[in-house]
Amino acid sequence: MASVSEMYDVGWEEMRDKLRKWREENCRNSEQIVDVGEELISEHASKLGDDIWIIYEQVMIAALDCSRDDLALTCLQELEKQFSDSHRVKRLSGMRLEALERYDEANKDYDAILQDDPTNTAARKRKISILKAQGKSAEAIRELNEYLEQFVGDQEAWHELSELYINEHDYGKAAFCLEELMMTNPHNHLYCEQYAEVKYTQGGLENLELSRKYFAQALRLNNRNMRALFGLYMSASHIAASPKVSAKVKKDNMKYAAWAATQINRAYKYTDTLKRHIVHLGGHAEAAMKQYPLPVFDSGWLVAGPRRTNAP
Amino acid sequence: MPIQLTSQAYCKMLLHAAKYPHCAVNGLLVAEKTKEKKKDSHSEPVLCVDCVPLFHGTLALAPMLEVALTLIDTWCKENNYIIAGYYQANERTKDSRPNQVAEKVAARISENFSDAAIVMVDNSRLTMSCFEPIVVIYDHHENKWKSRDVTSDCFEDWSEAQKITSALLEGRSYENLIDFDNHLDDLRNDWTNPVINKSVLDLC
Repeated sequence: MASVSEMYDVGWEEMRDKLRKWREENCRNSEQIVDVGEELISEHASKLGDDIWIIYEQVMIAALDCSRDDLALTCLQELEKQFSDSHRVKRLSGMRLEALERYDEANKDYDAILQDDPTNTAARKRKISILKAQGKSAEAIRELNEYLEQFVGDQEAWHELSELYINEHDYGKAAFCLEELMMTNPHNHLYCEQYAEVKYTQGGLENLELSRKYFAQALRLNNRNMRALFGLYMSASHIAASPKVSAKVKKDNMKYAAWAATQINRAYKYTDTLKRHIVHLGGHAEAAMKQYPLPVFDSGWLVAGPRRTNAP
Repeated sequence: MPIQLTSQAYCKMLLHAAKYPHCAVNGLLVAEKTKEKKKDSHSEPVLCVDCVPLFHGTLALAPMLEVALTLIDTWCKENNYIIAGYYQANERTKDSRPNQVAEKVAARISENFSDAAIVMVDNSRLTMSCFEPIVVIYDHHENKWKSRDVTSDCFEDWSEAQKITSALLEGRSYENLIDFDNHLDDLRNDWTNPVINKSVLDLC
């Protein structure tokens, strides 16, 4: 099989920079990381300098994701040689045991870290992940709640907890977690939009109205968020169709739904035009998309909505 | 009427599961709409010719699911299809039972198609070579979902399905699979997956 550098015509620096980008963006494209990282480590280790250690860590975790225990072990052994008493490396060793489903041994590793350093958040979170992997959702939720009492600012943990609650269909508590996230990240359109989805799923007129408000807020924060646009349409339509609302509320929501529908149709019409161009260019979608970098989107094809005194 | 799967439907389901190994995934199965049902056609299987991959990650939220059902329903009407089933692969390897989400969606589908089935992917048996079918089919009997033994009869052509799925998994075609979530991220992504459909056709 051709090497990555041959297939994509890249040098080792580009490969190293790509790995850094994926690290910074916390991408979980493990197969790609393994492909690029394995080649970088085996062919260009000497050129990487001190970067090599963080690359070993990144590649090891990706290797676990791809069941490449051979590669994971190699990386781990290099790290253990270099950083013999490190908690960070011990956590990686624990993760490897988790991947092999040797949960009791992994827990021993994490407990050892916590004996030494009770504030080690990484080890605590791994223990919670083990509970999740074993299907013990109630315990995982309990432990995560306890963790968050101590580490209130851990956003990753709040988000994980919201997902655990959603999977248990406990939408009220999931909403609470997302509220925490929205408070600390008021400009994050994704949290707004997820909160709106949870409220919508909870159901009931009050929750639908809240959901519509937060879909609208998400759209204001990012006027290209299609989920927010669709959500606004769905929630406004449901409110308008409810027998319990006043005539004014019905009329307002029909207006919001109609506006959303127009925007959705415009978006699809634009996409269809683009797709026809792509077909015209012989179906090579990826290459075509590069030729059409969507300047129209950047100028905000989603009109900011009718001017209104009350937020939708 | 039990359902049967074509190679295209089966392989796209597995490609979806393979694309997101760390997430739960789900999707819809569509069948060709037949004319009037004859009284004695109850033993004829319903052929699911295609599937539409829906979401990955969090499956238990309603709004986007409703949007997907509406849009896919419209697409079905344009192509003379009907939504005939639902598939799901759970997040954990050892978990292959249908959960509340699966039952709710299937109940919704059953409103328009009385013999809707749930197809669960058995993650623990997912391999590149696909020696054996790794789905479990659930039919609705007396208010409960009961699993049925899956044999090669559940496929239009099992050996073809096996060959194609294995080839596409090896070739990492799942990197190009588009689900409804991908579509919502970027409307240009086509959830009908014409590219993968063409690959399947080329391998037939």
